[in-house]
Amino acid sequence: MMDLLAAELKMDPAELRLKNFVGEGEFPYQTATGLSYDSGNYAAPLKKALELVDYAAVRAEQTKARKAGRLLGIGMSTYGEICAFGPSPATPAGGWESATVKIEPSGKVTVMTGASPHGQGEETTFAQLAADELGVGLDDVIVLHGDTAIVQYGIGTFGSRGTAIGGTALYFALQDLKAKAKKFGALLLESDDVTFAGGVCTDNKTGKTVTLAQIAGASYRAMKLPPQTEPGMVSTHFWEPPNFTFPFGAHIVVTEVDRDTGQVAIKRYVAVDDCGNIINPMLVDGQVHGGVVQGLGQALWEQAVYDENGQLITGELMDYAVPKAGMIPWIESSHTVTPSPVNPMGVKGVGEAGTIGCSPAVVNSVVDALSPVGVRHIDMPLTPEKLWRLIEAGGQA
Amino acid sequence: MIPQNFEYSAPANLQEALGLIADGSCKVLAGGMSLIPLMKLRLAAPEHVVDISRIPGMSYIRKEEGAIHIGALTTHYEVETSPLLAAECPLLAETAACIGDVQVRNMGTIGGSIAHADPAADYPAALFALEAKVRLASATGDRTVPMDEFLVDTMTTAVEPGELVLEVIVPAEASGTGSAYKKLAQPASGFALVGIAARLMKAGGKVSMARLGVTGVASMAYRAANVEKLLEGTAGTAEDIRKAAAVVTEGVDVNGDLHASAEYRAHMARIYAAQALTSAMARTS
Repeated sequence: MMDLLAAELKMDPAELRLKNFVGEGEFPYQTATGLSYDSGNYAAPLKKALELVDYAAVRAEQTKARKAGRLLGIGMSTYGEICAFGPSPATPAGGWESATVKIEPSGKVTVMTGASPHGQGEETTFAQLAADELGVGLDDVIVLHGDTAIVQYGIGTFGSRGTAIGGTALYFALQDLKAKAKKFGALLLESDDVTFAGGVCTDNKTGKTVTLAQIAGASYRAMKLPPQTEPGMVSTHFWEPPNFTFPFGAHIVVTEVDRDTGQVAIKRYVAVDDCGNIINPMLVDGQVHGGVVQGLGQALWEQAVYDENGQLITGELMDYAVPKAGMIPWIESSHTVTPSPVNPMGVKGVGEAGTIGCSPAVVNSVVDALSPVGVRHIDMPLTPEKLWRLIEAGGQA
Repeated sequence: MIPQNFEYSAPANLQEALGLIADGSCKVLAGGMSLIPLMKLRLAAPEHVVDISRIPGMSYIRKEEGAIHIGALTTHYEVETSPLLAAECPLLAETAACIGDVQVRNMGTIGGSIAHADPAADYPAALFALEAKVRLASATGDRTVPMDEFLVDTMTTAVEPGELVLEVIVPAEASGTGSAYKKLAQPASGFALVGIAARLMKAGGKVSMARLGVTGVASMAYRAANVEKLLEGTAGTAEDIRKAAAVVTEGVDVNGDLHASAEYRAHMARIYAAQALTSAMARTS
């Protein structure tokens, strides 16, 4: 749609987008449909992607390629999405999550979450959160999930909500325990002026310290208790989000279509995603990669085909083409960071970002490649035969 | 996903295997890369499967009297990586490298693949271009059939009930022969939508021998003799190749399916035939 408009207006598709973005200073942005976009800087990822792909240079290369009869295309998609589902009234199964944190008498930490990951890596992200907040080592934290005999009821990981909701519940449970550890620390140090940081409680006057393990041990032995404080070092926190989060990004894809065969080669894939603050860059990139691969599948290969009798003829993986590693281009993944005000960690969620950015960018790129033969629109998937027919028919198939 | 019940035998030697299959009621299992999926989908439901994969001495690649003999149980990986084939019959090694994926190439065998005779399998294109022969064994004796008699129709070969594929025989190439295999793979299965094997020799600046095997295009793989005739005797220029490749599907009933219509497949066969011939030409000397 944006590219069609750009073509009508004889404007560069990047310029058209930059001109029409909601401005950085307009957040929180109230939409006509009733949503409040938490935070955003939509120009930032597009500008970064244009820079990374070296937009002027690839447009110049395209001009040269077209003169030589080659079908080189540059396509982009800028997206905003709705994540971290969400306030319970808007999320039918319930939108909250909870976390339980136990600091064991040894000082080791057990985290239990109902936001059970299934490959997204929150075992690591949540352990990082707990380790950072409590000042313990990553190896001192165990994250338990998925076993309903052990872990409390939860909603689950979907809608890019695992860290933004489940992680926030964990964050607040950790704050409870930090406060409690400080109380026990003050008791052990016999001081009313202490700081809890880096895994130790320090008497600000004398500099004496007690470790988290000593504090936890004392809390379970319970020889003495701080005023209005129960024994033990366990906290459960339920977090109900006040709003969704709204990540965004820009993907730019350079493709070349073989005039003889209709086959698409992806020459460059640049993804700049803004998912707020990033806790684990490697896991975030993994999420982007996975999403882009799924988006490529939709754009180029995957289709449910029925025969004239209504029989599904792509019912097995011998006929339904899912992407395989050898079919995937190098993905240049990068980020801008616009923290979310919805949760204290400023995270937004990244599970679907790649998928959302990818398919339209690929289609826009291939349409751009085929624009010299008069193509303005192609339905997915962009199979070689479909493109070959369009080329043969001068865009009129 | 679960096959029908079947009886299973794993004979220890060839004689035992030939005895078991003598009455023609058994299905022979080698690498299992084709038969097992068919059984799981219940497109095949043999009552008795004779697994020959443990029979010793049926996996080999050796040169005898100017020809290379490849045992039926030789895996695609072994064909792909054989130094003997790389040196003296590179077309077959290049073709084997294009089959399926790593797992399939490690399990699947040349005998199993050609006996199964899938019309989109890779080997037959190369075996036609190489004018290969297939040796069959039965309890009553051996016989050798040339490739153009071996393939009869879709998934149908000259292998009679009671027979099994013993070995494939390909020529040890004369020096100066150029060959190439070009494949357009179906994106889901990896099978050939079009697979073209070309084999050329030049003498005195002219193409003295041209062979072209085609798979994936029709109900069975075939040898495109019309392309060969058009090219032989020419200088083998780009234009000669284009003209010859243009007739690769002439007189052929071209397959159409959800992955490629007949029209597109025929077009791709012409493109890939030209590509295979061009590569093969560049490799002649």
